[in-house]
Amino acid sequence: MQLQALMMFAADAEKTQELVTLVPWTFILQIINLFIQMYLIKRFLFKPINNILEKRKELADKEIREAREAKEEADSLKDQYESSLTNAHAEAAQIVSEAQKEAQSKADALVKEAQQEATDIKARAAADIEQEKKKAINEAKDEIGGLAMDIAGKVVEKEINEADHKKLIEDFISKVGA
Amino acid sequence: MSNDFSVVGPKIYATIHTGIPILGDINITETLVVSWIVMAIITGLCIFLTRDLKTENISKKQAFAEMLVEMGNNFVRNNTGGNKFDKLIPFVSALFATSVISNLISLIGLRSPTADLSTEAAWAVVVFIMITSTKIKANGVGGYLKGFTTPIAVMTPFNILSELATPVSMACRHFGNILSGVVIDGLIYWALGLASAALFGLLPGAVGKFLSNIPILGVGIPAITGVYFDWFSGCMQAFIFCMLTVMYIANAAEEG
Repeated sequence: MQLQALMMFAADAEKTQELVTLVPWTFILQIINLFIQMYLIKRFLFKPINNILEKRKELADKEIREAREAKEEADSLKDQYESSLTNAHAEAAQIVSEAQKEAQSKADALVKEAQQEATDIKARAAADIEQEKKKAINEAKDEIGGLAMDIAGKVVEKEINEADHKKLIEDFISKVGA
Repeated sequence: MSNDFSVVGPKIYATIHTGIPILGDINITETLVVSWIVMAIITGLCIFLTRDLKTENISKKQAFAEMLVEMGNNFVRNNTGGNKFDKLIPFVSALFATSVISNLISLIGLRSPTADLSTEAAWAVVVFIMITSTKIKANGVGGYLKGFTTPIAVMTPFNILSELATPVSMACRHFGNILSGVVIDGLIYWALGLASAALFGLLPGAVGKFLSNIPILGVGIPAITGVYFDWFSGCMQAFIFCMLTVMYIANAAEEG
C-alpha cells in the first residue's frame, strides 16, 4: 500500500483545480448562487405554502367564529323557548284553575238550583197534599152530611126544613171535625 | 486498475479569460456545474411540491411541502426564540437544502460542490457578514467596536481572532467532513478494486484476467460505509452549518 498516495493530490493543472483552494470566481458565483437559491425557495416553496397555510388558518378561524355565533344564536333561542315554555306553563295552570273555578261555581249553582227546585217541588207537593186533604175532608164532610141527612131523614121520617137541618148538621160536623 | 491512489480537485470544463488582476479567470468547474444542477433539483422539487395546492383534503405531496415549511419555520423560531428572525427562514432553508443536496449528490456519482472549499467559504462569509451586520444593528458601530475590548482592552487581538475564526471554522468544518467522505469513499473503492483484482487474478487464464479488471468487491460494501460517510455526515454537516448560522445570528442580536 502506498500511503503517500493518500497525501499525493494529483495536480493535473490542465483539467482539474487544486483540491484545497479558494478560487475567487467560484467563491463569488457561489454567493450569487446561494442568494438565487434563497429567492427561488422563497418564491416557489415558502410563498405558496405560507399562503395556503394562511388561507387555511383563516378558514378555520372563520369556521370557529361561525360555530360560536351559531352557538350563541342557539343559546338565545333556547332561552327564548325556555321562557316561552315557562309562560305557557303558567298560562296553562291559570287556564286550568280558572276552568276549575268556573266548573266549581257552575256545579255549585246547579246544585243550588236543584236544591231550590227540590224545595219548591216539596213545598208544592205539600200544598197539593194539603189541598187534597182539605178537599177530601170537605168531600167527606159533604158525604157525611148527606149521609147523615139521609140517615136522619130515614130515622126521623120527617120532612124537615132542609136549611135548618143543614145548619144543624154543619154544627155537628164542625164539632166532629175539630 | 491503477495501483496509485489519488484524490483530485473538481474538473475544470471551461475557462473564461477576464483579465481582472486579482480575481483571475473564470473557471467553469465541476463545482459550479453541479451547483447549478443542485439548484435546478431544489427548485424543481419546490415547484413540483407546490403544484395545485388546496386548503382542504390535501395530498401527501402538499402535506410534505407543508411539513418542510413548518420545519424551516420551527427550526429558525425555536433557535432564535421568537418571530424576530423570520426574514432568515428562506435563507437558512436555502442553505440547508443546498448543503444537503450537494452533499448527497455524490451518491449518484457527481462531485459534491461542497467538496470545494470555495463553496463553503462563500456561505461562511455570507453568514459572517450577516452576523456582523446584526451586531452592528443591535449595538451601533461604536458598540460593535467596543465589544472587541471586553472584558479588558488587552483581549482585543484575541477577540478579533475569535471573530474571524467563526467563518473559517464553519467553512473548514463542513468542507473537511465532506472531503474526508470523498477521500474515504475513494480509498474504499480503490482498496476493494485492488482486493478484487488480487482475488480474481488467482483464477487462471483469460477468465481471471478479465474478471480481475472488474472491481466486483466494490458492489455492496461502499453502500454500507456510505450510510455514515455520505448520508449521516452529509445531513449532519448541513444541519450543523445551519444551526450555527442561526445561533450566531441570534446571539449577535442579543449582545450588548
